[in-house]
This record gives sequence, structure tokens and C-alpha cells, in this order.
Amino acid sequence: MAKNDLQGTLDLLVLKTLAQMGALHGYGIVLHIQRASEELLHVEEGSLYPALHRMEQSGWIASQWSHTETNRKAKYYKLTPQGRRQLQQAEDSFNQLVRGVRTVLRYV
Amino acid sequence: MSVFRRIANLLHRSRIDRDLDAELQAHIALRTEDNLAAGMSPEQARRDALMRFGNQTVTKERVAAVETALLFSSIGSDTRYAIRQLIKNPGFALAAILSLALGIGATVSIFSVIYGVLLHPFPYADVDRLANLSLSDPRGNIFDAEFTGQQFRELRNVHGFEGIATWDARHLTVTGHDVPENAIAFFGIGETFVTLGVPPLLGRNLGPSDSPEGQEPLPVVMLHYRFWQRHFNGDPAVIGKTLELNHRLYTIVGVTRPHFTWGWGADVYLPEEATQGGGVVVRLRHGVSLASADAELQPLLERFAQERPHSFPPKFKVDIRPLTYETTRNMGGTLYLLFAAVAMLLAIGCSNVSILLLARGTARRHEFALRSAVGASSSRIVRQLLTESLLLAFTGTALGILMAYQLVRLLVEWMPQGMFPPDVAIRINVPVLLFTAGLALLSSVLIGLVPALQMIKPEIGQVMQSSTNRTAGSVHGRRLHGTLIAAQIALTLVLLTAAGAAVHAFLHLLNVPLGYDPHNVVSVGIPLQDNTYTTWEARVNYFEQLRASVAALPDVVSASVATNATPPHSGWEQRFQLRDKPSSSPEAQTARIHFVDPGYFSTLQVPLLQGRTWSVAEVTRGASLAVVNQTLARRYYPNGDIVGHAIKLSALQSGGSPNALTAPGAGDWMQVIGVVGDSLNDGLDNPVRPAIFAPYSTVMRMGTQILIRTRAAPEPILHSIRKQLATVSPDQQTYGVIADLETWIRNEPEWARGRLISALFAGFSIVALFLSGVGLYSVLSYSVAQRTNEFGIRMALGATRPHVLRIATASAGVSVGTGIAVGLALSLGLNHVVSAWVGITTNHPLIVLSVSLLLLIVAGIACFVPARKVLSIDPIVALRSE
Repeated sequence: MAKNDLQGTLDLLVLKTLAQMGALHGYGIVLHIQRASEELLHVEEGSLYPALHRMEQSGWIASQWSHTETNRKAKYYKLTPQGRRQLQQAEDSFNQLVRGVRTVLRYV
Repeated sequence: MSVFRRIANLLHRSRIDRDLDAELQAHIALRTEDNLAAGMSPEQARRDALMRFGNQTVTKERVAAVETALLFSSIGSDTRYAIRQLIKNPGFALAAILSLALGIGATVSIFSVIYGVLLHPFPYADVDRLANLSLSDPRGNIFDAEFTGQQFRELRNVHGFEGIATWDARHLTVTGHDVPENAIAFFGIGETFVTLGVPPLLGRNLGPSDSPEGQEPLPVVMLHYRFWQRHFNGDPAVIGKTLELNHRLYTIVGVTRPHFTWGWGADVYLPEEATQGGGVVVRLRHGVSLASADAELQPLLERFAQERPHSFPPKFKVDIRPLTYETTRNMGGTLYLLFAAVAMLLAIGCSNVSILLLARGTARRHEFALRSAVGASSSRIVRQLLTESLLLAFTGTALGILMAYQLVRLLVEWMPQGMFPPDVAIRINVPVLLFTAGLALLSSVLIGLVPALQMIKPEIGQVMQSSTNRTAGSVHGRRLHGTLIAAQIALTLVLLTAAGAAVHAFLHLLNVPLGYDPHNVVSVGIPLQDNTYTTWEARVNYFEQLRASVAALPDVVSASVATNATPPHSGWEQRFQLRDKPSSSPEAQTARIHFVDPGYFSTLQVPLLQGRTWSVAEVTRGASLAVVNQTLARRYYPNGDIVGHAIKLSALQSGGSPNALTAPGAGDWMQVIGVVGDSLNDGLDNPVRPAIFAPYSTVMRMGTQILIRTRAAPEPILHSIRKQLATVSPDQQTYGVIADLETWIRNEPEWARGRLISALFAGFSIVALFLSGVGLYSVLSYSVAQRTNEFGIRMALGATRPHVLRIATASAGVSVGTGIAVGLALSLGLNHVVSAWVGITTNHPLIVLSVSLLLLIVAGIACFVPARKVLSIDPIVALRSE
């Protein structure tokens, strides 16, 4: 994902990912966003973890240590009910933003 | 939730680091695995994973910053800033902290005493169901009912009682040492301790098996903690040892806890039924009220009264009372009055803190506006102010707790003696401590927030643009100030008036003419053992021998036998008749009867005004000759011719109490042979009652006192007095602490209570005066500082300096005036309440006037000092500062 991401977009992507996929570890989130965006978006690891921890502090997501398919210990994140509401809001405002930007771009 | 987590995070930073490290390592490992699967070499795979991650340390720091969050890192800086602010204004900080500390300290200590003495003096199990079996007569007097052996057994079967405890006090002698020692012994039936339900400190309680039915009680004794400390130095191996009482050996089976108050100062407890008559405390069955117990008992006790008419007052009603009835009657008024005083002090203290915080908050509006303009959120400013108030509140509370500990010690020392059990536990009461501290915290925090909340209103721009902090402040703020100041002044005036009245009453007490000289006179109590000196002659002889032995000491000026005649509370109030002047209301014709020897008057230096006193021979034969005091002589023989007339003591005809020995002609007409000057006999604050003195040999009970005048201070020779008495009879102990008559005066309840109340009230009211002065001062100085600009404009427009001064002090003046008016109304209104409680009247016009004046002067100074700054305002400078 581009460095100058629109503010809040990373949160939205993470929340949406967790809503779609259930519990995932950080690396899984990176992979999913990459795959689901057809390689258009690349999440920077350095930004992902602070964001994950911030969202956990805000109570949007919850974490738990668990084992991967390859039997490696990793921290799995999943959405909380509060996070689900937050996702709804973030999605709405993102759609609005996109509509607004598109309208401006199409203005002749 | 997240707040707690953040606190936890602060404490567990290293745990977070480890956790995060593991998470990142897992991420890198997963990426490396995928890279390997995609066909990279192991080294390549790992390097790629690391590179994608960027700088791990930076990431970790960024995550950690999220975790520990802004809130707590900023609390540290808030606290530092608050401390700097307070140090910058030491006067403000000190005044606020002291206000809180004094209020909290005083309230907590007084309440702790109230709790110990009034609310919870008896540490018995389930104490609410214990009650004292007392009787009341139609005149409203309350008596402890007295019973004997068989009656106890019948009381035990009363349905409403779950159990009974009995008591009967006697003086025993601890024998087997060089000087016999007095021990106050409490006797009780076997289940007494079971009924009280208090576990012992050592050994076991006395129980029913110690006094089996129909047999002699076992020779066992239980020690009170105090006696155990005094006599055995707290020896933990005392159980099983013996104690010699009246030459009989008793095995020690237990030691009570330190605050065990059964018997109000008892030394030892023995298992024995009262033969003479003993009091009863009952444990009521669940759900049985005092009234229903009264009703159930009435017929039984009426039967008892028929069997033993002497033990019951005529026309009595059973009137079972809570155990705390007596302590409350003795000390309730005094302590609740003091509590009201400290509550006022606490109110003044809290309002003072509020005033200080309000004034300062208003003065700092500019600072807050500035901070808000450069980006501080309003919650950030509120937090800053909260931190400051909390800092003040906590410091004040801590100091208050220290003060409470000191004040409790002083109170315990100054409490009147004999008004409550000497062993009550008086300690700092934690619930009250928490309550007052919470109150102080709440008041300072709430008030501290007012200026901050005002800031949240969107007037920052306005404040900023005016680029000045010199505004008059909102009307609302000033009204709040004014109300607080007025309330403070009113409360202070109430306290001052009460203090003035208390001090006035106490000074009066100090200057009461005694009529005798208490200096270097001691009163030595001489209790007699049961079944000793049982004939009249033997007892007269014995008393005289004791007196003579003490009088033989070189440092003794004189010694005299005086039964119940130690001033300032002396004699028995009894009816008397005059042969020549039959009374129209013989019931009401009473006087204080004293049984003394001729040396009594010279020992106390009471002057003989007329006639003579007895010769030694007349005392020895119990002659029917009386001496009266001046009050009696004047009241019944205003012409001064009482000498030679005859007087009769009605009570002596009936013989008095069973153990008393009376002289052959005791009930006869006694000839008045002399008149002596008045000396106090009804306490310090009552006028002298008519008094009749008869030879001590007329009636002798199971003890007497010897009054001894010494050449120098009596303390050094007390031991030789005790030894001298023991030469007459090796078992003759003295009763309790031997004290001189000046100490007797100080131990009078009125005296001790007067000292306690006047000292504390004076102290509290001075503190209150100081606090309200500080409050007034700070309000005025802040308001003057803020309005400098306004005053400059007024002066530039032609206002004279006195005029401006008047404007500056006008609102404060209104507050002070209102406060004084309300305070006067309050103290006059409360007058009858206060005087009913402690017998001091507060509406002495001179006192009210002088304390109002004092308050006015202090208020004047507190106003004038800051207001004087107005006079030095230079209009030009003031205007240019705009």
C-alpha cells in the first residue's frame, strides 16, 4: 500500500479483512490484503503492527496466541462487536469519500 | 477497561516487549517459510523477510508508544507542573492544605472519641441485645436494681432473657507484700462471662463450673488486663499462678482483653454470688423489646420488693435501659457539642479550599485560554486542574491524619474521669477517616473543576483578544464567592460565641471561692474489709489509731477522719428537723450531712465563726452535738442565734445501711454548738448547700477517708503514709490513687469538662477565625488584582481613591455583614440547645459583642491589606497595560 495512504484506510482494510476471514495473524492479514486487492495494495509491516495494537487498545479487535498450520506460535487477531460497528462506520465514510473524490475528478 | 490495561502495561513494559518480539519474529518466520516455498535460498528468504519489515526497533517503539499511551506519560508531567504551580504560590498551597488538614484532623479525632466512648464503649458480643436492669421512680430518678442469690435464679428463668450477667463490687486487699494493695473486685454469677461473650486474652473466662450450685465457689480469679500489666508486668506465664487476696490464695485462670470494660475499672473478677445485692445486665432474647421486657418483669420485681422492701424505691417501674445509657447521659452533650464544632470547622475548611481554588482558577483564565489556543484540549486542561486539586487534597488529608492522631492523644488525657469506663478503646476511626477524607477530596475536586468547566465555554477567543486577565469575573463566580465567605463568617461567629461562653464559664469556675484551702491536702481512702471491726467501739478506736499514726509523721501538719466529707462534693443530702421551727414541707428541708472530727476544720482551714467544735472525748463517745455551716445558720436563724438550738437527722433514726455502725444516741436531737464558714459541698458550679457536721463516730460505714495537710508537696510522703497505716493493721490498704485536693478539683466533671470544652472551642474558633481571614484575604486580593484595569479607568474618569477603595471592598463588606448577621441569629437561636447540653449560656451580651468585634477587626484587616493595593494604582500604567 502506498506510503501516503488516506488516513484510516489501513484500519478499514484490517477490519474488513478480519470481518471476511475471521481470526488471522499479522502476516496473514498482509497476505490477504495483497491477494484480495489483486496485488494492488501492499501493507507495510512497519505500519501494520502499531495499527493492530492501537485498534486492540480501542477495543475494536482482540488478540490471542495460537498455532499456525505449520505449528508455529503466532498472535491471532479477531473482530470484536465494537470493531464490527467501527467497520460499518469506516466503510460508510470511505464510500462517501470515494464518491466525493470521483465526482470531483469527473467534474468537467 | 483500556485504562486498566494501560496501567498494567506501564508496570509490565518488559512483558510487552517480549510479547511483541515474539509476534514480529513469528511474522518474519512465516514470510521466510513462504519465500522458501517460492524457491528462494534460505539466506535470501530470510533477508527478504527482514527487509520488508524495515527497522524492527522502530516498529517496536511505535507499538510501545501506542500501548503506554499519552494519558499516563502526561500524568507525570501534570503532577510535576502542579507541584511547580503550588510551590510558586506557597501561601495559597499552605492555606489550602492547612484548611483541609485542620478540618479533617479535628473531625476525625472527635468522632473517634465519640465512637469509643458513646457508640461502642462495651466490646461485648451482640451488644445491642444487652441492657441494664434499672428502675425508675415517679420523680424520674434511675436506679440500678439490686438482687441477691435466690432472686438471680428467678431472673434467669424470665422468658424474655436469654442470659444474665451480674455484678457486685468490693474492695479487696492484695496481701503478701510489704504494702497492702487495693484491688477492685467484681463478683458475678457463673454465666456472667458467658452472657457477655468476650473471649479472654489468656487462659479461660470464668464459667458456671466455677460456682457450682449450693457449694462454695472455687478459689479462682480472672485478672483484668490493666491489673495484669500493673501487678504482674504482663507476665505471659501467669495462668496457674496464685494471687493472694485478703490472705486467701486464688488460682489465676485467665486475663481479659485490654479494652474489656465490664465493671468500669475492675482489677479482678471472682466467681461468687452477691449476698448484699448486686446489679444485673440482661441479654434479651431475639425480637424482645425493652418495653416488653419491662412489662414481663414488673410483677416479679414487685414481689421481690415485698420480700426486701429496702432494696427497691417506692412506686418503682422496671426501666431496662441500653448499656450505653449512662455514658451517653454523662458525656453525650459534651461530645456532640464538640462534634458540631468540628463539623463547622470542616465546613469552613472545605469552603476555604473552594474559595482559594475558585479565586485562583479565575485568575488563571488567561493561562488556560492561552494553552487552549495553542492546542490543549479542554479535557487536558481539566485534567491539569484535577491534578492540582488532588495534590492539595491528598497532602491535606495526610497532614490531617497526623493531626488526628495528636489530637486524640490530647483528648484522651483531658477527658473527665469517671464518666465512662476507663478502659474504652479510643482509636482513630477508619470509616470516619475515609468519609472525611472523601468529603475533602470531593469538595476540592468539584470546586477545582468549576473554573475549568467555565473554560470549556467558547469564550477563549474573547479572553485572548482582550489580551488581559483583568476582568471583574462572571457574576456567577462572584456570587458563589460571596455566599461562601458569608457562610464562613457566620460559622466562625457561632464558634467564637460558643468559645467565648465556654471560656467565660471556665474562668468563672477557676475563680469560684472554695471556702477551704486545697493546697497540700491529700485525701486517703480507707476501705474496711468485710467482717472487720464489727463493734462500734472497735471501729472508732481503729479509725482514731489510723489517724494518729499518720499525724505522727514529721511532715504532716494535721490529719483528720472525714467520712465522705472531701470537698468540693461532700456529704449526704438528708432531711433534718429543727426542734423550734417545724418545717411546713419536711420533705424538702434537706442539708448535706458530714461525719468528721474537730481537726477537719483546721486541716481544710475552714474558719469557725461562732461557738465551738467538739472535744476529742465528745467525738470518742459519739456525743449528739452538731456544727452547721453559715448557709444553714443564716437560712433558718437569720438573727445569728442558732447555737444552742436542737437539730435532728431523720435518716439516723432508721439506722442507715446494714453494715453501718451507729452511736448509741444517733437518732436523738443534737445540740448545735458552732457555726463554720461555707465551703463548697455541691460541686464547683453550684451554690453551697446548707451543711450539718456531726462527729464521725455517729455513723461509721465500711470505710472512711483521712484528710492530711502536709508541710510541703505531698507526693514524696505518700509511701510513708501507706507504710504508717500498715503499722496499725498490716492489711490496711488505701483506696486507689491518693490525690491532693487540687487534683480533686481538677477531676470534678464540671472542671474537666469545662477545660476540655473551653480549650477545644477556643482552639477551634481561633483556627476558624484564621481560616476565614485567609479566605476573605484571598478573594479580595484576587479580585483587586483582576480589576486593576477597571479601577485605572474609573480613576482616569475621575473617581477618587476612597471611592475606588469602597467599590473594591463593597462586595466583601456585604458578605461579611451578611455572615455576621446570620451568625448572630444562629448563635442566639442555638443558645438554648447549647446550654441544655453543657450548661453554658452563649447569649452573654458582652461576649457576643466582643467576639463580633474581633471578627470585624480580623475581617477588616483581611479586606484592607489587599484593598490597599488599589490606592497605589497609577491610572496611566493601569490603562497602558491594556
